[in-house]
Amino acid sequence: MTGRDVLRRAVVGQRRRLVGSALLGAGHQAGEALTPMLIGVIVDHAIAEGDSGALVLLLGALGVCYLVLSFSFRFGSRIGERAAETAAHELRVDLVRRVLHPAGGAERGRLPGALASVATEDARRVGVVLMALVLGFGALMGLLVGSVALLRISLPLGLLVLLGTPVLLWLGHLLSKPLERRSATEQEAAALASGVAADLVSGLRVLKGLGAETAATDRYRRISEDSLAATLRAARAEAGQQGVTLAVTGVFVALVALVGGRFAASGDISLGELVSALGLALFLLTPFQTLAWVNTELAQGRASAARVADVLAAPWAVEPGGEPPAAPVRGELAVRALDHDAVRALDLTTHPGELLGLAVADPAHADTLLRCLGRETDPAGGTLLLDGTALTALDPAALRAAVLVAPHDADLFSGTVADNVPGAAQAAALAAAGADALGADTQAGEGGRALSGGQRQRVALARALADDPPVLVLHDPTTAVDAVTEARIAAGIRDLRHGRTTVLVTTSPTLLAIADRVLLLDEAGRVTAEGRHADLLRDHPDYQRLVLS
Amino acid sequence: MTESPREHVERTADQPTRESADQPTQESAGLPVATPAELRAAVRELLRPRRGLTLSAVAVLTAATAVGLLTQPLLGRAVDVVAEGRPAGDLTWLVVLLSAVAVVQGGALAYGLVLVSRLGETTLARLRERFVDRALRLPLDQLERAGSGDLTARVTGDVTLVAQAVRNALPELARSALAIVLTFGALALLDWRFLLAALVAVPLQVHTARWYLRHALPLYTRQRVAVAGVQQRLLETLGGARTVRAFRHHARHTARVEDSSLHARGLTLRGVRLVISFYTRLHIPEFLGLAAVLITGFVLVRDGSASIGTATAAALYFHSLFTPVNAALVLMDDAQSARAGLARIVGVAHHGLPEPVPVDPPTAPGDVTVAVTALDHAYEPGRPVLRDIDLALRPKERVALVGASGAGKSTLAKLIAGVHRPAAGRIRRAGAVGLVTQEVHVFAGPLADDLRLARPEATDAELRAALDLVGALGWAEALPTGLDTVVGAGGHPLTPAQAQQLALARLVLTDPPIVVLDEATAEAGSTGARSLERAADRALDGRTALVVAHRLTQAATADRIVVMSEGRVVETGTHDELRAARGRYAALWDAWSDHRTTR
Repeated sequence: MTGRDVLRRAVVGQRRRLVGSALLGAGHQAGEALTPMLIGVIVDHAIAEGDSGALVLLLGALGVCYLVLSFSFRFGSRIGERAAETAAHELRVDLVRRVLHPAGGAERGRLPGALASVATEDARRVGVVLMALVLGFGALMGLLVGSVALLRISLPLGLLVLLGTPVLLWLGHLLSKPLERRSATEQEAAALASGVAADLVSGLRVLKGLGAETAATDRYRRISEDSLAATLRAARAEAGQQGVTLAVTGVFVALVALVGGRFAASGDISLGELVSALGLALFLLTPFQTLAWVNTELAQGRASAARVADVLAAPWAVEPGGEPPAAPVRGELAVRALDHDAVRALDLTTHPGELLGLAVADPAHADTLLRCLGRETDPAGGTLLLDGTALTALDPAALRAAVLVAPHDADLFSGTVADNVPGAAQAAALAAAGADALGADTQAGEGGRALSGGQRQRVALARALADDPPVLVLHDPTTAVDAVTEARIAAGIRDLRHGRTTVLVTTSPTLLAIADRVLLLDEAGRVTAEGRHADLLRDHPDYQRLVLS
Repeated sequence: MTESPREHVERTADQPTRESADQPTQESAGLPVATPAELRAAVRELLRPRRGLTLSAVAVLTAATAVGLLTQPLLGRAVDVVAEGRPAGDLTWLVVLLSAVAVVQGGALAYGLVLVSRLGETTLARLRERFVDRALRLPLDQLERAGSGDLTARVTGDVTLVAQAVRNALPELARSALAIVLTFGALALLDWRFLLAALVAVPLQVHTARWYLRHALPLYTRQRVAVAGVQQRLLETLGGARTVRAFRHHARHTARVEDSSLHARGLTLRGVRLVISFYTRLHIPEFLGLAAVLITGFVLVRDGSASIGTATAAALYFHSLFTPVNAALVLMDDAQSARAGLARIVGVAHHGLPEPVPVDPPTAPGDVTVAVTALDHAYEPGRPVLRDIDLALRPKERVALVGASGAGKSTLAKLIAGVHRPAAGRIRRAGAVGLVTQEVHVFAGPLADDLRLARPEATDAELRAALDLVGALGWAEALPTGLDTVVGAGGHPLTPAQAQQLALARLVLTDPPIVVLDEATAEAGSTGARSLERAADRALDGRTALVVAHRLTQAATADRIVVMSEGRVVETGTHDELRAARGRYAALWDAWSDHRTTR
């Protein structure tokens, strides 16, 4: 998928609204073009002639013109905006669906903030493209009506305005281009001050802990001064741009007045037609400016659409599709000759129903193994098997229903504790994880940040237990929990997972002690010892060092 | 080109939200907001040193607008030249004048805008510097009562809100207001009856503007909250993608985003409809005013008191009013929200500095560095957290604070660090206290700058030595550009353990005689925690230290262990003494070391 496809889908999806809105927008612009012309006609036929009947009639025509332009504007804009917002909304949902897809891969190399900005800012920009198309069509229509009116008044004068206006805008653009460029870079520097202030305030407790308030204030003052200087340069550039535009436009109108006045003086056009021509010359600047705006919006929209397409078409992290695991799941997980990242030729097996402890010396090895087991990635070499079937042959979502890998840094979501721990076994899981005292109705806050680190960890553990999968892999579930609670949690895990395969990847002796069997992976990532925790502790100095230091 | 309805709504919505960041309960508890009188006083005080600049900015902009208003009569004069059949050569000098007007007006406008931005931006810079200075000196307990969300919202939201207003709305509003006033003046100069005709539109415009403001502000507030809600939900969902996948909750989370996005879309469209209706309603006074001016022109030309050129100039004047009137009216809501933002900034910036928590040295400084006597504390009246605590730390002694969750360890640590004032009792300290908690923050910018917050004059060698001491030099030098690598928000990401090592390195650089560590090593995984503990050990060397610890190995190596339960100190002694005493500590130790070999 490319950016072009994204744009095309957005346009096709909203085609009815777009057509309606474009037609009404054209009506609006035609009305705007007729207003200055009607003023000229009124000067000509009513004021200059002193004809009150014509005045009433023409004011009536002006009224009708206003009615039409007002009505078209109102409904045309509404429909167009609805199309733009709806297209942006649909893209947003598509993006979320893609990122959350079981086969993953879309968030690789992108920070959550960057992804969120694609889903808000870029999706919005694609929506604005629709509006730009509608407004562009309206502007063309206004241009057409205005041109016909002008050319009917006088061919040479009409040509002067029609050819002069783009030249004028181009000239203004040319004059202000260096200013514009400078302004853009300066704006960036100016934005720094507010960013740094926010950063210092969010690190306020840390600053206070160090007594570094003065150092921070001094730093901020320097950055604020630099930003001020940059902002002033940007403002100068912008002011210059506005002044240039104004001056060039004024000179152009003067030129039209000169040529039109000479035609009027020689009797080629009437007085009212001169007034109309002056009004139209001023009016025609707007559609040309709109077209220039449409052009930049389209360029930005194309860039945004390309970023959207990049996420939507990101390569899968693992192949989607495949068989569901054979039911019932016995729970035998086997790793054969696994080669991935720092892990080399790793072999290990869990027996169905056992509680296996994995004491891994290098956290990087643990992380790699867990990512392969959870099919966040497929291994470069070797195989992982569930009940004898290669994980790569299984559907990722169905596999995770059978083998749940709960990461150490699991995220919580806003909502109550109960919302975060769905499942029939909720109460038992909360109790086993030592999170029952917290209260199921407690709000977890955004990302669970209303809870303390220890509370978050216990709720995350409860969520994994409540999911009640045939195979559960837990990674360091109790690092932020005090010793008494950890012992209680260990017993809870043991009871709740009785008879089902559970893998504990940890170096906590409290947890390893409840395992039926413990494997030690040394610094090189090889299994160098196997046995019960107490025996390993007695016989294996490396193990002792790892879990008791 | 004037702003489209959607651009207006979205720009207003882009203005960072504060409503979502702070709950009303926090607002009431918390940070001051300036009253209208305080706000006026603060603005006067800020403008006083720049009175000359203010006057010249107003003068130049007025001149630019006034010169610009010569355009319409000159065009009218051109019409008269034609109408009266004077030689076409007369047109030429009119056109030369018109061109001169355009050039002078352009130049004056540019200069006026430069002056306005210099005035606005300099004032804003002073205000934000003062704000940050005061914000960083707010007492932490006040901040914790108010919730840090409020302050963050003020610094990100309100400062940007006011900055945008100063940058965009202020010059535009000034220009429009001047254009409107001077155009009415020019109409009166043509003939006072043209002014009367033009004023026909005013009551309707005022009425429409009132109607708009009444509806716009509450609606935009709701819309901003909704848009921020989408952003928050997206960040949370996309950031937690791995967790969502692991638990197969993708459908549920997609639906949550869809709901909040639909809600925000609905409110945005309501806002768009409102702005569109506003513009549409303004069409009525536009038409009525234009018709009135044309009728007046008709009457005046017929009875010979005005020329056709004058009537034309009047019509052109009125037609040229549409743009500034619409611009000024639609900027009113920006001005209102900027004013509210300014009140919140001034509330903090012009707030008196709090008296610092006094450093009250112990009576016998030789033997004791920290002395806590008869300390009681409660966050809410009637719910005591600490009761009757007595504790003395000897020079260079390392004391571990142990107890179950909720025993009051962190509160005692914060009181000793001077974060809160005790409700009753006394804390004496022999020097500055460094506090490191499990809350880590990596300051955005080069790594070296982050460290220099702790000691601004530190040399590169000192920075390296501090990093080395906490075992962070290896990875720090391996960063893409070493210590110059930009870290923190938007920079090179660091792991939580690395961020915590940085915190310890900052502590080493600050070099305080007394240190409080509150679970500074808890967030890393179990293997990571151990290497952090070793780093903390080295950082604490030679200082008086109070360490709140979950892992009892940290306690076991301390000089003394203080066991807390339900807000009281229940046991004190060395590891061996407490184990021998068979009390709470021994029970804790047994629970913890049940499966560990005996020591």
